[in-house]
Amino acid sequence: MRHRSAIAATALAVAGALLAGCGGSGDSGSGKSTVTMWTYPVIADDKQNHAYWDEQVAAFEKANPKNDVKVEIFPWANRDEALTTALAGGKGPDVAYLIPDQVPKYAPNIEPFDRYMTPAAKQAYRPAAIQAATVDGKLMDAPLLMSTEPLVCNKKVFDAVGETRYPTTWDELLAMAPEFKAKGYDITTYNGDATGSLNISFYPLLWEAGGDVFSKDGKSVTFDSPAGVKALTFLKKLVDGGYVEKAPITKTSPNIEQTRIAQNKVACSWQHLPGDVQQYWGKENVHVVGQFKDVKQVGYGTVGGLSIFKKAGDKDAAAKWINFVTAKAQMDAYDKKAGFFSPLAGNDLYADDPVMSAMEKTLDQVDVGPLVPKARDVMGVLAPEIQAALIGKKSPEDALRDAAKEAKFMTG
Amino acid sequence: MATQLTVRKRGLAPPEGRRRSPLARRDAVAGMLFVLPCFALFLVFRFGPAVAGSLLGFFDYQVGGSAKWRGLANFRRLWHDPVFWSALKVTLLYALFAVPTTIAASLGMALLTRRGFRGVRFFRSIFFLPVITSLVLTGAIFRWVFSAGGPWSTVMGWVGLGHTAWLEDTTMVIPALALVGVWSRFGYGMLILLAALQNVPRELEEAATMDGAGPWQRFRYIVFPQLRPALFFLAVIETTMSFQAFDSVYMMTSGGPAHASYTLVFDLYEQGFKYMDFGYSGAIGLALFVMTLVVALIQRLILGRDT
Repeated sequence: MRHRSAIAATALAVAGALLAGCGGSGDSGSGKSTVTMWTYPVIADDKQNHAYWDEQVAAFEKANPKNDVKVEIFPWANRDEALTTALAGGKGPDVAYLIPDQVPKYAPNIEPFDRYMTPAAKQAYRPAAIQAATVDGKLMDAPLLMSTEPLVCNKKVFDAVGETRYPTTWDELLAMAPEFKAKGYDITTYNGDATGSLNISFYPLLWEAGGDVFSKDGKSVTFDSPAGVKALTFLKKLVDGGYVEKAPITKTSPNIEQTRIAQNKVACSWQHLPGDVQQYWGKENVHVVGQFKDVKQVGYGTVGGLSIFKKAGDKDAAAKWINFVTAKAQMDAYDKKAGFFSPLAGNDLYADDPVMSAMEKTLDQVDVGPLVPKARDVMGVLAPEIQAALIGKKSPEDALRDAAKEAKFMTG
Repeated sequence: MATQLTVRKRGLAPPEGRRRSPLARRDAVAGMLFVLPCFALFLVFRFGPAVAGSLLGFFDYQVGGSAKWRGLANFRRLWHDPVFWSALKVTLLYALFAVPTTIAASLGMALLTRRGFRGVRFFRSIFFLPVITSLVLTGAIFRWVFSAGGPWSTVMGWVGLGHTAWLEDTTMVIPALALVGVWSRFGYGMLILLAALQNVPRELEEAATMDGAGPWQRFRYIVFPQLRPALFFLAVIETTMSFQAFDSVYMMTSGGPAHASYTLVFDLYEQGFKYMDFGYSGAIGLALFVMTLVVALIQRLILGRDT
């Protein structure tokens, strides 16, 4: 009898203990407010990245004894899954690093930053940076850095071919392609990985041809326009002519080490940054041509910024922290360590570095990509259709038409 | 009356009007308490999310927590969405390759390792190893195996089938993924069938041998009929598993090239976690559940008649 009671009590205790494990944690109630920020390896070196943020946190907490800051650094991979899950579970951060590609999706959860940024601070930014951070007329983040992806060429390859001019337009690139092919080089490369962003791969061509992804109101897609067909036909000419490596067209997340870019067999690319290629090409062989051109001269670039979420416990403290790290001195140090550019107007950081300085000059010709909530969804249907066209399963017209048909279910 | 007495004596039916003893009741309570933690965990982490996920299909759910009733709108979109139908076709094609091959491989390996011979336990363990190997790890390795210049394309080249990288070919990507599925699943099927084979009376096979039956006849008329329940179980499990193909797709192809390996669960994942369209993702999940249920019922009708 006593034995059975003991068994029952044990079972109940185990059940209780297991269920207790499902409960949430409480507030420490220390009287201080804590701002939690999620960021990523923007400074690629993990040690330097941690050291930078540790230093900023210490300086901020010293100046603001009532505020604690906790910076959590997550890997780039699956960052949206982690953020979405945390926000859905009510355990999200107060502040996060976002790029324009992500902002429209999170916009309903973001506290507009307008009231936390002084007019003078706003005025100091490049107009392109503020525009990229604005959704429906509201400032969604405080810009922290800018990037640009112009056409970069490998001088070593040009020397080997005996070519002294660099291509600046589609026609020039196509005209040079056979000469490079004859000597065993690819004139360019196209990474069509469907998990990657079309902002980097196909959209620059679409913009250069005079087209755009969405209509002005963002409610329908326009990539199947004659400009879109022209851009995809240009790419197909490169593939069909054997002027680009075939594997990256469909390969998922190809390692750069395994591509012809790393083997010094590719002349130019609009999908690689000097930082990606200089260890293979040598910094002295990186030649920044500028944004590529067909009817328009434009390329992809992004603006990384810090946003406050609506569920932040202490929004004023979060804004204070953001304003602290986006002050010019802090931001300049961060941008230089990370190898990015300043979003502040006329603030050139790399006057003594010819490659970075040439990159910096292209900042006003960047497009950050469509700022509409369905932008990523549309990439999901367009990227496989581009692959289908490039591997010869469909014509450029049919591929874009089919993608537009599929996108219609997303845009409504 | 006599019959009733006999039944009572054997204890096959409780006496009419008799209540359970306090001891039996206490046993039952203790049993329930032991089951309670597992049941609670099942409710919280399995049943609850499954119901919530299905309900999401009727809402437009935002990450922040706001949900707007959409009725059947997500399902109407599903009906007209070419990506969904393409994903369904890919999923069925994958199942068509993976399920029969897995069952055939499981059966073959079970028959091979059925008899005791030197080292049989070692071989059984080796064959079971892929089942407990992480599919993420498996996917990473097989991505290399099937890559251009990898072992598979090299061997295919030797036998005159060309050096195509199967994962980058719209036609061969599904067979490649199915092969990985078979590799990682056949050990489980082998184990189930080995257990079932233990129940096949040896005397029946011996008697048939004495009557002049060959190996095929013994398998066809004695062993196979005895395996039907296990085979039905395997068919249902493997079909369900193949409908849920995700890990290997995620690791090896991400649905490509040109959506040629874009399965339903991958679509569900992308709609939810990449595009944050949780309502539509829930609708795909519910459609997948219904599809799995219907196929299991059809399998029950065809394969499970005598089980």
